[in-house]
Amino acid sequence: MNIRSCGITDVGLKRDGNEDAFSVEDSLGLYIVADGMGGHLAGEVASRVAVEMINGAFRKWIEEEAGEEEIFGEPDASLSLEGNYLLGAIRLANRVVYEMALERKQYQGMGTTVAALFVTPTMIISANVGDSRIYLTRDGDLERLSRDHSLVGEQVEMGMMTEEEADNSSMKHVLTRNLGSSEDVEPDIFEIEPSGNDCFVLCSDGVTDLLNDEEILSLTMETIAPEDLCKKIIDAVLKRGAHDNTTIISLFLTEIKKRRVNVFKKIGLSISEIFAMAMRALKKIVS
Amino acid sequence: MARLILMFNKQVVKEYPLSKESITIGRNEDNTIRVDNLAVSGYHARIDLAGNDYVLTDLQSTNGTFVNDKRVVSHKLSHGDNVLIGKHLLLFVGTGKEAQLRPEEKKVDMDKTMMLDTAKQKELLAKQKGVAQAGMGAQKIGVVTFIEGMDIEDIELKKKLIKIGKAETSEIRLPGLFMPATAATISRRPSGYVITNMGIKLKVNGEIVKDNVTLKEFDTIEIGKTKFQFYYKKPGE
Repeated sequence: MNIRSCGITDVGLKRDGNEDAFSVEDSLGLYIVADGMGGHLAGEVASRVAVEMINGAFRKWIEEEAGEEEIFGEPDASLSLEGNYLLGAIRLANRVVYEMALERKQYQGMGTTVAALFVTPTMIISANVGDSRIYLTRDGDLERLSRDHSLVGEQVEMGMMTEEEADNSSMKHVLTRNLGSSEDVEPDIFEIEPSGNDCFVLCSDGVTDLLNDEEILSLTMETIAPEDLCKKIIDAVLKRGAHDNTTIISLFLTEIKKRRVNVFKKIGLSISEIFAMAMRALKKIVS
Repeated sequence: MARLILMFNKQVVKEYPLSKESITIGRNEDNTIRVDNLAVSGYHARIDLAGNDYVLTDLQSTNGTFVNDKRVVSHKLSHGDNVLIGKHLLLFVGTGKEAQLRPEEKKVDMDKTMMLDTAKQKELLAKQKGVAQAGMGAQKIGVVTFIEGMDIEDIELKKKLIKIGKAETSEIRLPGLFMPATAATISRRPSGYVITNMGIKLKVNGEIVKDNVTLKEFDTIEIGKTKFQFYYKKPGE
């Protein structure tokens, strides 16, 4: 499998500081976007601490091939071992941000969203808390691999509000889950099989406030390099006023060895191999 | 402090200061504001403090919640708003500062991301069983039932990624000489259950699926000689 990736963040045109944080760890296959909140520098601290903690804990467990009993919190039986590593890492990061916010006055009320993606040749795991999103483009269709934990996002899921009404709602920035505001947090986690030519976009709400799903899909479809996609999205956001910090990670997967086994093709291949071997042997004898 | 004034037939019944971050309004006894009238649902609406604003949310009540004669699902309360619940009227009285703020200034505030008090909200959602089930973290569980080729019990699709094939690690193990280790997968995604072809003829409702398709309730799936049907588990079963 070949992964090409790019991550970029921009303070935008209206904000003084950048409370977003991200990390691109190709060697690990882990990609994270976090959008912090909280006064003064607390938002920056929350998002950065979360990214560092998730990266650190996840890498440790992967490298040590930790058992489910070693990770943080109760394992979730519906997830793979790696899915449980990601779950544990996010829970742990939440606890750290939460404790920091309790201990220091200047960090009171700080929190952050998290959108994380783990990519391997056999499995892709997405996890999110808050309203940072993860998009998958496959076969010309865009699909969300995250769920918005916001007041309006929940109402859209319940069918009480349309996507359009949610976009125009004055309450679209009210989150129902984040990292740091309570002792425990449950991320939404999804696991899927990779497919050839998958493209992923992880982004903060600085992007999704200004670009809808169709626009993100069409930008993805007309791009072949992750750097171009990041730049195109940033340009589109800046053109529309960039009222918030904007962060994007884009990933392009190629050369996934599909585990499709065609029995007859397999036999055919081995026959031709045997044939080739026989021919080589024959040549040797002749010479 | 912001207040709510409960009125019935143009008479003031009671005044409630909004001293908590979250309150509920409804007919049941454990509501913060209890309104004993059949037109009012058990848990009818709630009000949460979000930043400097109070947000009113209708809890999928039977008769709806109206603000200034308009039906609302959720609404940011402004000074002087009339909230109609059944036949009772709640008048929202903002704080001095909130009453003076111009609308644009409030809008800027809402541009900042903020957090609802989750612990309180969870409590409320737990009480509101219907909402909790339809809401977040409570996706419906799919089940497959075997029609042909296999004589085993129904399998609940509880895992996020379910492998179907001959491999021992498959959640759904299928026999057969030409059955691949993994013939197909079913993954639980935000959009529902998606079945993906991994290398053998896969049919959904008789149509060949080359890549993947989102499963609808009562779809029939054919893999090799095995035929099964997908449906959703009923809540509470």
